[in-house]
Amino acid sequence: MRFMKVFNYFFLFLLVSLVACDEKSEETLFELLPGDQTGIQFENSLTSTNELNILEYLYFYNGGGVAAGDINNDGLIDLYFTGNQVSNKLYLNKGDFKFEDITEQAGVTGSEGWSTGASMADVNGDGLLDIYVSQVGDYLGLQGKNKLYINQGDGTFIDLASEYGVDFVGFSTQAAFFDYDRDGDLDMYLLNHSIKSPEVFSPSKNRINPDEKGDKLFKNLASEGERGFIEVTEEAGIYSSILGFGLGVGIEDFNNDGWPDIYVSNDFTENDYLYLNQQDGTFVESLENMISNTSRYSMGNDLADLNGDGLPEIFTTDMLPEDPEIWMKSVGEDKSEVYQIKKQFGYNDQYVRNHLQVNLGNGDFSELALFSGVSASDWSWSPLIFDMDNDGLPDIHVTNGIVKRPNDLDFIQYSQEVDPNTNMDQLRRKQIDMLPSVLLPNYAFQNTGDLQFENKATTWGLDQPSYSNGSTYADLDNDGDLDLIVNNLNQPAFIYRNSTEKSGNHFLSVDLKENSLNTFGIGSKVSLFAKDKTWSQTVSNARGFQSAVSPNLVFGLGEVSQIDSIAVRWSDGNIESFPAVSANQRLTIKQGSGKSIQNEIEINSHSDDFPVIAWEHQEKTDVDEVKREYLIPRSFAAIGPALAVADINNDGLEDVYLGGAKDQAGAIFLQNSTGEFEQVQNQIFIQMAKAEDVVADFADFNRDGILDLYVGSGGNENESGNLFLFDRIYFGKGNGQFQFFPNALPPIGENTSTLAIHDLDQDGDLDIFVGAAVVSGDYGASPKSSILINQGNGQFRDATDKWLGSSTQLGMVNSAVWEDLDNDGINELVLSGDWQKIRVFKNSQNQKLEEVQIRGLENSAGWIQTLEIADINGDGLKDIFAGNLGLNSKLKASREKPLWLYHQDFDSNGQADPLIFHYMENKLVPFATRDDLIKQIPSLKKQHNSYLQYSQTSKPEDLLKNLDPANSFAVYELRSGVYFQKPDGSFQFEPLPYSGQWSPIMKSYWDPESKRLHLAGNFSGFRVDLGKNNALSVQSWSYNQGGWKKLEVASNVSNHKEIRQIAPISVAGKEYIILPTNNGSVYWMKR
Amino acid sequence: MIGICLLFSVISCQKKVDYSNAITDGTYLADAQNRITEVIIHDIFSPPVAARIYSYSSLAAYEVAASTDPNYVSLLGQLNGSEKTTFTPSEEVYLPLASLAAYYYVGTSLIFSEDMMNEHRDATYAELKEKGIPEDVFEASIAFGKEVGDAIKAYYAKDNYHQSRSFPKFTVTGEIGTWEPTPPAYMEAIEPHWNKIRTFVLDSAAQFKPLAPPPFSTDPNSEFYKVAKEVYDAAVNAGTEQKEIALFWDCNPYKMNVKGHVMFAEKKITPGGHWMSIAAIASKAAGKDWKGTAETFVLTGIALNEAFISCWDEKYRSNLIRPETYINQYIDEEWVPLLQTPPFPEHTSGHSVASSAAGYTLGQLLGDEFHLVDSSEVAYGLPVREYNSFSQAYKEAAISRFYGGIHYMPAIDYGVTQGLSVGEFIWNNISTKPDRLAQSN
Repeated sequence: MRFMKVFNYFFLFLLVSLVACDEKSEETLFELLPGDQTGIQFENSLTSTNELNILEYLYFYNGGGVAAGDINNDGLIDLYFTGNQVSNKLYLNKGDFKFEDITEQAGVTGSEGWSTGASMADVNGDGLLDIYVSQVGDYLGLQGKNKLYINQGDGTFIDLASEYGVDFVGFSTQAAFFDYDRDGDLDMYLLNHSIKSPEVFSPSKNRINPDEKGDKLFKNLASEGERGFIEVTEEAGIYSSILGFGLGVGIEDFNNDGWPDIYVSNDFTENDYLYLNQQDGTFVESLENMISNTSRYSMGNDLADLNGDGLPEIFTTDMLPEDPEIWMKSVGEDKSEVYQIKKQFGYNDQYVRNHLQVNLGNGDFSELALFSGVSASDWSWSPLIFDMDNDGLPDIHVTNGIVKRPNDLDFIQYSQEVDPNTNMDQLRRKQIDMLPSVLLPNYAFQNTGDLQFENKATTWGLDQPSYSNGSTYADLDNDGDLDLIVNNLNQPAFIYRNSTEKSGNHFLSVDLKENSLNTFGIGSKVSLFAKDKTWSQTVSNARGFQSAVSPNLVFGLGEVSQIDSIAVRWSDGNIESFPAVSANQRLTIKQGSGKSIQNEIEINSHSDDFPVIAWEHQEKTDVDEVKREYLIPRSFAAIGPALAVADINNDGLEDVYLGGAKDQAGAIFLQNSTGEFEQVQNQIFIQMAKAEDVVADFADFNRDGILDLYVGSGGNENESGNLFLFDRIYFGKGNGQFQFFPNALPPIGENTSTLAIHDLDQDGDLDIFVGAAVVSGDYGASPKSSILINQGNGQFRDATDKWLGSSTQLGMVNSAVWEDLDNDGINELVLSGDWQKIRVFKNSQNQKLEEVQIRGLENSAGWIQTLEIADINGDGLKDIFAGNLGLNSKLKASREKPLWLYHQDFDSNGQADPLIFHYMENKLVPFATRDDLIKQIPSLKKQHNSYLQYSQTSKPEDLLKNLDPANSFAVYELRSGVYFQKPDGSFQFEPLPYSGQWSPIMKSYWDPESKRLHLAGNFSGFRVDLGKNNALSVQSWSYNQGGWKKLEVASNVSNHKEIRQIAPISVAGKEYIILPTNNGSVYWMKR
Repeated sequence: MIGICLLFSVISCQKKVDYSNAITDGTYLADAQNRITEVIIHDIFSPPVAARIYSYSSLAAYEVAASTDPNYVSLLGQLNGSEKTTFTPSEEVYLPLASLAAYYYVGTSLIFSEDMMNEHRDATYAELKEKGIPEDVFEASIAFGKEVGDAIKAYYAKDNYHQSRSFPKFTVTGEIGTWEPTPPAYMEAIEPHWNKIRTFVLDSAAQFKPLAPPPFSTDPNSEFYKVAKEVYDAAVNAGTEQKEIALFWDCNPYKMNVKGHVMFAEKKITPGGHWMSIAAIASKAAGKDWKGTAETFVLTGIALNEAFISCWDEKYRSNLIRPETYINQYIDEEWVPLLQTPPFPEHTSGHSVASSAAGYTLGQLLGDEFHLVDSSEVAYGLPVREYNSFSQAYKEAAISRFYGGIHYMPAIDYGVTQGLSVGEFIWNNISTKPDRLAQSN
C-alpha cells in the first residue's frame, strides 16, 4: 500500500510536470501582441473627478469602442478606437501587424469629446468608408457632439455631421448603418441612453412618448439625390422615450423576409426592442410576441447564426458572475416583490444573465443561455459571434469588467458609515474609493456543437485580466482567420493575433461589391453550401458594444475544402447564386455577376387547420406561494387545466373534459360527427368551481357500463384536508351529464398531481393510486399520496396503510403509472416526482405493495414531472421515459455534483426551511442569496459580519448544523430521457439528445402505433432567481436503430405556451393530439 | 504554575479601593445604549424591531435596579405574560455594574453583530476594572446581571417574535387605494404581523384604534384628494425651517441611494432610537442616577414598543397608499418627496404615534416643561435642536412627516392621539414607584 501511495505521488508529480511543460510549449490560438510591436499604443485612460464620476454620470465606466474597416481600400483592415477622456485614434494597417497612428493628419480625434461608439460605413456611396462617432454631449462640462467623418480619399476626413443633419448632441451609445427602406443608401439608427433615474419605474406605456434625447432613426437622402439625412423616428414606429437606456443595437433579418430588422438592448427596467421591418418604411416592435424573456441589464448584443440553419440568433450580455464567491456577494435577481412590480408596470420578464435567443424560424425564439453554458460572464459588455478557431462552428467572445463594482453587497449595505466631519465632495470620493475593483479575464465560449459552449479563454490565450469594453474582429493579416481587438479601460488595447491558420482548418473570406450607394453591401447575406452544411453571415457594421466590424466576411469551414455553391441575398432583396469555389481564398463577389434566383420565402406559420374547443383556462392565484414560503423554488399553483378524453356518450366519437382553475368550472365537450365540440351544461361543475382541477380521468368506477369522471384538485393554496382540495368522483349518465356523490371518496384533501387507475386487489373493479405533489405551505415535506380501494360500487376507502404500510413516505409525487414492468403478469406501481428517483412498488402475494430496488434506477432522482412506460426501442422489454427539468436551468446535477435539498426546521420556529444547495464550480453553495436565507432563517445573519465572509461558504456544513440525512434529498439527473430495460431487468439511462433538453417536460405521450414520443414542455412558475423556462412547447421523437430522431411537429401552439396536458384524440376521423395550456387556450398537433 | 501563583499573590496584595462611586449616574448605561443604537443601524433593524430591542434591554437593566431598592418596583409581574420574580443579589454584587451587565447581556442577544457589542462591553469593563472593582465583585455582578438577563430572555422568548419570522410576507393586493412598494428600492412592506407580537401593557394591539383615513378617492373634490394635494403643495412651498424639521426627524434606518448601477444604503437611527437618545439626554439633564436612568429607559422603551404595535396594527388594517404613489399617479408623475418613503402602509404615522407615546411618558417622568437640547442626530451630520417641552418635541416630530412628504395630515393628527392614548394607558397601568402602584391598585 505504502508503495502504491508513493507511486501515485510520483505519477502525480510526473503528470504535473508534463502538464506544465505542455502549457509552456503549446502555442495558444491567440497571441497578445505588445503595443511596441504593433504600433497601437491606444489606452482609454480615465480619471474620476469631483465633477465627473460614477455617481454623477451612471455610464462613467462604460469605456470606449472600436471600429474596423479598410479606410484606404488597400486590402488591409484599419482600426479606429474611441476614448472617453483621451483622443480617439485611427490606426492605418501597414501589413504584418504593423500599424501607423494617423489620427492627427486624418483629423479624426473626436475633438476632445467623450466618445462612446464608432462605426464605419460608406455614407455617401463614394466607395470609401466614412466614420461615425457617438459622443456624450453637453453634460457636466462635456461638450461632445456626434461626428460624421467623411472620408476624403486621401487619408483625411472632414466632420460633416452638421451638414448631414446627424450632429446630435446628447447621450449617444452607438450608430448602426443599414438600408431599412431598401432604396440603395445607408440609413442610420442612432442608439442613445437616458440619464433619468432608472430606479424609479414608470409605466411601460410611457415608451410611446418621444423625447428629444431618445433613440433616433435617420433616413439617408442620397438615393433621392440629396446630401444628408432626415429624422424619421416617429413615423417609422421607433420608440424614443426616456425609458430607453440603449447599450446595444444590431441589424439582422430575423424573419427571413429580406428586410432588415433591428434589435436594441436596453439597460435597466425597459424591455429590449425587436423591431420587425414592415417593408413600407415602418417598424413594429414585436419582442414580446417572439421572445419569452431577456437580459435585465442588457448591455451589448450580437446577432448571427450559431447553429447553421441560416437564421440569426440574438445574444445579449448582462452581469451574472460565474465565480461563486463573487456571486455570493453581488446583487442578484430582483426580489420577487420588485419583480412583480415591474410586471405590473408592464415590463417583460427579464433576468440578470446573458441571454441567447435561438431563432426557430417560425417567429419564435427559444432562450437557451443556461442550456448553452453562456449565461454567466460577469459584468459583460461586448459579445461577438465569430468562428474563432475556424472549425466551422461560430463561437462567442465576451468582454467584461468594470473598474468599480457597484453591485457589491457589502458596499451597498455596510459601506456608509456616517461621519459628520466630511463634506459632500469628500464623502462622494470616499464612496467611489470604497467601490471594489476586480480585474477579470474576458470569456471565449467555444461552440462544441448542439448549441453547447465551453469557456476557452485560458486555452486560447485570451485570459489576460482587464476592464474590457468595446471589441471587434477582423482578419488584420489576411491569413483567413479573425483577429481580435479589444478596447480596455486604464490598460492598453488588446490586439490578439489569431493563429488558426496553423490548425489546418479551412476558411473562405468574402467581400461584396454592390451596385448601389451601399457599396459594401451592408445588409447582404452570404450563404455557403457544402454537402449537408450551410454557413450564413450578414454584412453588418454595429456589433457587440459601441463597436463595429468591417464589411469583410470570414467563414470558418473546418475540414470542408470545397464550397458547392454560394448564395447572396443582396441588400435590395435580390438573390444570386455563385458556383463552387475552393476554400482558403479571399473572394470578391460583385452584384450582377451571379445567377439570379427566385426568392423563396418560407414562412412556417401555424396556419394549418385544427379542431376548435371554445374553452380557455383561466389561472387564478390568490395565495402568493413565495410570500408564504420564501424559499420555495417553484410554484404548484399553475398546474392545470385537467384533461380527460373518452367517448362518454357511446356515439363512437371522443369527448373531452377540461377542468378549470379556481373559480372556473370544469366543462364537458361532446364531439359531433363533423368534429365540432359542443359544451354540455353540468350544474354540478359550476357548484364545484371553487376547486382547482389539475388532473382528471374517465373510467367506469361503479361498473354500470357508463364512464364516470374522477377529478383531482390542487393549487397549493389551501391547507391539507381543506374541502376545496377534496378530489371528486362524478358518475356518468351516458349523455354527458354527471352526478356527484360526495361520499364516494374519503375526505383526503391534498394537492393531487396524478392518478393511476388499476384493479389493484384484482376483485374486478377499478382502484386508484392518487399522487400528491406538495404539502401546502411546506415544500419538501412528503404529502399524503393514497391507495383508494373500490368497494365495487364506486365507493372508495383509503387503504394506503394496508397496502403501503403506515410509515411509507412517498415524497413529492408528480407522476405515477401502473405497468407490468417485469412481465410477470402483475402490474407494478411506478412513481416519481421532485427530489426522488423512479420508484417501483411490487404487488406481493400478501396484498402489499413493496418497494423494490432496481439496478439502474438508483441515480434517477430528479425533478421528474412525467413518466411514460412503453417498449420504446422495440426489444420486447418495457422502458421508462422520465420527463425532467432538462438542461436549460441554473440548477444542474450529476452523480458527482448532485443538487441537494435540506428540508428541516433549522431555526426551530415551527416552519421547515427548504434549503437548496447546488454546485458552483467545486463548491456546494446555497441556491438562495444570503438575503433570502436570512429572511427564512434570521439567525444565519449572526454567522457572518459581511457578505465577503459569507462568500467563503463552500459546503452546507459551513452554514447549517445537524443536517439530518433523512431529510436531505439529492438529485443526480435532470435530463429527460429513457431508462431502457435490459434483459436482466436492470435499466440503463439514455438521455434525449441535447435538443430535447431545452425546457422542462411537463407531460408526455407515447403513441404505440406510430412509435413516437410526444412531449409537452415549458414552465414559468419557477422562483425569480431560477427564471421562467418557456423555451420549447412541443417536441416529437422517434427511436430507431439505436438513436433518437427529432420529428417535425405540425401544431398550432406557439413556442412559449405552457402545455399542461397531452392526449391523443380522434376528431372527425383525423388523428390529433390535444394540448390544453395553462392560463390559455386548447391547442392541437397532428399525430 | 509559578506564574499563576505569582499573579494571584499580586492581586491579593492589591490594596482595597473604594469602588462604590465607579458608577453613579447613567452615563455607562447611556453609552451602552448608544452602542446598541449603532448596532441596530449596522444590522438594519426596522423601527418596530428596534423598539423591541430597546425595551427588553432596558427592562433587564431596570430589574437589577429594582431588585433591592424599595423605592422601585419590579415590572415583572406587571407586564403582560411576566411573572413576579424576586432576584436576590449576593453581598459581593455591585448593583450598578450588574445592571449594566444585564443590559449588555440581553441587548447582545437581540442583535446580530455580537462582536460589535462585545467589543464595547469589554472596553467598558476594562475601564471599570481600572477603577478598582475587585475581581470577585466583578464576577458576582456580571453573574447577577446574567441571572436577571436570563429571566428577561425567557420572558421575551414567548412574545411570538421568533415565530413571526416565518409568518407570510406581505402580499400587495394591487387594489386601488392600497399600499404598494415605493421607489427607489421597492422594498416589501416590513413586519405585516407585528400586531401578533405580545404587548407589555396594552390589552391588545387594537386597543387604541385610531380614526380611519378619509375614504380613498381620485376625485379632485374628494377629501382624500385634498389631503394628498396638501402634502404635494406643502412640499412645493416648503420653507427652510420645514425642510430642516423634516430632515432632523427623518430617522430612516435604511435609505437607499441609487445612482444608475450604483446603490448604497444610508442608515440612521430609528424613531425609537431617537427617543431613547432623548431619554438619555433628559435623564442626564435631570441629574438622574443610574437607577433613575434605567427607569427612564425602560418606561420610554415600553412606550415605544407599545406605540409601534398599536400603529402597525392600524397600518395593515387600513393598508393605505403612500402620498408618493398617489401623487405620482394622480397629481404629478415626477414628484419625489423630500424624505424617502419608508416601506410600509401610510396610516397612521409611526413617528407620530411613537414620538407622542414616548414624549408623554418622559413628560410624566420628568415634567413636560423641560429644556431639551436634542443632540441625538449630531453623529449623523444634523444640527442640534432645542425644545421647551417634550410635547413641543413630539409635536414637531409628528408634523415633520408631513413636511417630509411621506404622510397625509390625518395620519399625523390621529397618530398623535393614538400615541397619547397608548402613553397614558401605560402610565396608568404599570408603575415603577410603589406609591403610584398602590394608588392604581
